[in-house]
Formats: sequence, structure tokens, C-alpha cells
Amino acid sequence: MRTKPPITARDLVLLVLAIAVLIVFMFPIYWMITTSFKSSGDILVNPPRWTFRPTWQNYVYAFEVANFGGYIRNTLIVALISTTIVLVVGTLAAYSFARYNVGGGNIMFFILTTRMMPAVAVVFPFFLIFKTVGSTGVGQFLQLGLDRLGTLAVCYTVFNLPFAIWLLHSFFQDIPAELEDSARMDGYSRWQALWRIVFPLAAPGIAVTAIFCLLFSWNEYLFAFVLTRDLATTITLGVAAFWTQRGVDWGPLSAAATICVVPMVAFALLLQRYIVRGLTFGAVRG
Amino acid sequence: MNETQAPSARAKAARPLSDRWYSYLLVAPSLVVILFFALIPLFYAVYVAFHAADLTAGTFIGGFVGLDNFRDMLNNDLFWDAIGRTLTIAVAAVCAEMILGTALAFLVNQLRWFRGPIRALFLLPLAAAPAAVSMIWRYMYDNEFGVYNALTAGVGLPVVNWLGGARTAPLAIILFDIWQWTPFVMLIVLAGLQALPKEPFEAAELDGARFWMVLRRLTFPMLAPVMSLVFVLRAIDTFRLYDPVATMTMGGPGTATETVSYYVYRVGLKYFRMDQASAMSLLVLFAIVVFTGLALRPLMRYHAERAKRG
Repeated sequence: MRTKPPITARDLVLLVLAIAVLIVFMFPIYWMITTSFKSSGDILVNPPRWTFRPTWQNYVYAFEVANFGGYIRNTLIVALISTTIVLVVGTLAAYSFARYNVGGGNIMFFILTTRMMPAVAVVFPFFLIFKTVGSTGVGQFLQLGLDRLGTLAVCYTVFNLPFAIWLLHSFFQDIPAELEDSARMDGYSRWQALWRIVFPLAAPGIAVTAIFCLLFSWNEYLFAFVLTRDLATTITLGVAAFWTQRGVDWGPLSAAATICVVPMVAFALLLQRYIVRGLTFGAVRG
Repeated sequence: MNETQAPSARAKAARPLSDRWYSYLLVAPSLVVILFFALIPLFYAVYVAFHAADLTAGTFIGGFVGLDNFRDMLNNDLFWDAIGRTLTIAVAAVCAEMILGTALAFLVNQLRWFRGPIRALFLLPLAAAPAAVSMIWRYMYDNEFGVYNALTAGVGLPVVNWLGGARTAPLAIILFDIWQWTPFVMLIVLAGLQALPKEPFEAAELDGARFWMVLRRLTFPMLAPVMSLVFVLRAIDTFRLYDPVATMTMGGPGTATETVSYYVYRVGLKYFRMDQASAMSLLVLFAIVVFTGLALRPLMRYHAERAKRG
């Protein structure tokens, strides 16, 4: 055990430097939150005001006039449906890829490639397909079609599934196969060993994947923008909607953006330990 | 499968389902979803790209036109301009993010106090929805009420119409991207730094190696796999850049910030030329698939094997 070296001036300089950079990076978030509590008289001024009398007005406006509650509801419905589907099918696939190495890595890589497709390349076919599907009875029953929540749920499922499979795969790889083998020796079937031994051990990984999927669905913009008009508007669109032909209401917009950003920031802090792993599709364990 | 397990595997052959079929069965639902919803749109795009599909002309999907759409695309200067612009923005943003992020990772790694909380706070820009925060940036860039101009004016710099100028608007997009994604580079390089083995560095210290020598001969070579991965992931992501362009500048002023994604979107849903948009998106898709195969695949494989070795 080495004794701690004495505190030097260098330690202090580095800390001050790190905090200075941190302030620069935090500033837009700070500005967003403070603007959301400013009245319009404190927003449209030059030079900008650093002190002001806080008001709830903008939040009241966002919920009562701009129907922001409805956007949140839509986003949650879409995010929860797609995340559930992704987890159910993705967990099984990821386990199989990790334990049985199906396709020798080629299928896994094909899956990753679909995740790298630019959204704009698939959004037009989706637009045309859902336009057609929406006019059929089945499409209407399943809420598929333009400006329908089912459509977005399908898009986010396709978009998140490759990510989830890769991330879950890395968690399953961390579980030693011996545990399963010994359960099999004790008379468990493959399926029982999977349910009673592997899944409980993978639970943290599954939870982490779920939160990432929710986060991606919540923050998504392009699909929502192209495929919805009014009924299925999601939260990011709701924020952008404050920019209108007539001009922009910065106060309510900041309130809306704050509502959109703050829960995800909380999620990110929750994910802290796994954020590096998630953002690299499980490649860097962090 | 392992050779030594072969006899027991054969003994279990009476079981209703072999391991092989069982493993396929588990993968099947996911593959169905991905093939159905990723390949059908793809084939559909190919189909549309070979037909006339001008929604303004009243016909939804018109007659077969062969390679006409691809020929028009190759002759379309606006499209190639958008590609050039996207590459410029991507190169500038990703280079800045790599340098800043790596420097920041070294800095945070050297911290004596508060390393955890500081690292945690750098997550914030990453978690924020780009479409939402870029709207706030739009307010901050405002040349009349924006706080950035107030800050630069405070130190005596001239007022800049950030989003209104053809030269400054791309810079504004780049700065936004740097703000949002430098923490990503920082977090991953930091994870790489913290995973480095101690012994070689202690040996170098004993040998009296200079700081720069250690950096060049030890640290960077050992960080290379992690840094290449971040670089490739960022490159793919910035090439697809759409959200901040759509919400902050709408490609403007003029076409100064029109990225490929935004241009293709505009052709498809503003001019309703689905045929042209499909041809272009296929080319962009092809470029990304090739790049992913050449650059991302070997890196992901390398990291997977390294993780397996533990």
C-alpha cells in the first residue's frame, strides 16, 4: 500500500480547470432551466438578465394551452410498447448469440448494420408503406398508419432492437456458461436453466437496456416528425412546435424543453456505470 | 461445439430439439422483426427508385423508369454539395470532439478530488434530446437576445449573427455537436485510461522515461482500439446528422447547413419526389454499410474478443 502523495498546487490547478470546462458544458442546460422560469419581459431583453423573479407561467402554458401532457402520454405509450417488444424478443436472441454463437458473428453484424442505417433512408419507405396500411381495416385496428401511435411503436422497435441485442449480448457473455451447465446437471431443462439461472443474473443488464431504449425513443425526432401530424405527436416535436410561422415563445419552449430533458438526465445518472457500455453497443465494458 | 462434449451431445439426440434448432428458435423472433421491418422498406426503396414517384403529379407510384432516378441523382449538384457540406461538418466536429474529449479524459483522470461527480455531470449533454436542446441553442445564438453574443460582447468581441450568416451557421451546428458529443469521447477514453494496466507505466517511471515518451509509446498505443471505436461511431453518427439542422437552421441560411439527411428529407417530403429521395437514400445507405463493414466490424470483433479474454 502506497501512502497518498501530499497535496500539490497541480492538484488544485487541475480541479479548477476541470470545473471551468464543466461550467461551459453545463451552461446551455442552466440557461434552459432558468429561461423556463422567466417571464417574457425577462426573456426578450438585451443584454440578457441573470437575475429575475421566477414564475410558473411557462409551465402552466405548456400544459394548459399547448397540450404538453398529451405529448408526454403519446411518447410514453410508444416508448413502453416498443421497449417491451424489444426486451422480449431481444433478450432471447442476445442469449442465443452469446451462448450458441448463432451465425458465427455474421448475423450479429448484419443486425448492427441495420442500426447504422441513416433514419432518412428508411423513413420514406415507412411513410409510403404506412400510408397504404393505414387505409386498411387491419391497419386501423392496430393503430398503424400515418399519425398513429402504433406506427411509431413499430419504428422504435426496429430502431432499438439491434442496439438491445448487442448490449444484452455483452451482458450474457459476462455470465459464465458453467453456472448453466451445473444447473443442467441438477436436472434443469435448457429453458428452466435460462429462466431460473441466467435471466435473474442478467436482470441488471436487462434493466439497463430497457432504460436506454426508453431514452432513445423519448429523444427520437426524425421518425416522429415525418410520420405524425397531430394525433400522435411526441415530446420532441412538441418542443419544436413552439417555433411557429408567427414567431417563437421562448418561455414556454424552454419549459417544454426542460420537461423533455430533465427526466432523461435523471435516467442517465442512473445509468452512469453502464453508459460507456451502452453507447458502444457493449464493446467497451467501462 | 467442443470436441470432448460430442458423445454426451449424441446421447441427448433423442431430445425433441437439438441445441442447434433451439438456438435458432430463440433468434427467430428478432430476425423476423428485423428482416420484416428493415428489409421490406429497403426493397420498397429500391422499387420506388426505379419508378417515377412524383407525389405532386398525382400518381402515387408511376411507370418503370430504369436508372433515370440514379442518373438524375449523379447529375444533381445540390445533392453532391450536401454531401460535401456534411463531410466538412463531420470532419470538423469529430476532430474537435476527439481532441477535446481525449484531453478532457486525461484531465479528469488526473483529478484528485470529485472525479466521480464531475464525470457524472458530463453525462448531461448526452442525455438531452438533440431536437429539444438545439431549440434552446437557437435562442442562445439569437443575435438580438442571445446570451452568447452578450458574453462575447462582454469581452469586446463584435456581435455575430450566428444562425443568419452562411459562414457562421455551419460553425454554429459544429459547436452544438461538439457540446453534445465531446462528453461521449471523454467518457469512453476515460474508461480506456482507467482500464490500462499499471505495470508498464511503473516500469517506465523506474526507467526514467519522459512524459511525452510514455504518452507516445505506451498510453496512446494502448488506447488506440478504444479511440478508433469512438472515432468510427462518431463518424457514422455525424454523417447522418439531422436533428439540430432541422430544428436550429432548417438547412439555412440558403443551403449553408443543409446536410445529406436534411436534403434527402426535403426532396422527399417538401418536393414530394419520393423517387429521387429513394435513389439518394440508397446511395447514402450503401456508403454507410460499406464504411460500417470496413471500419466498425473489425473493431467490434476486436473488442468482443478482448472482453472474452477478460
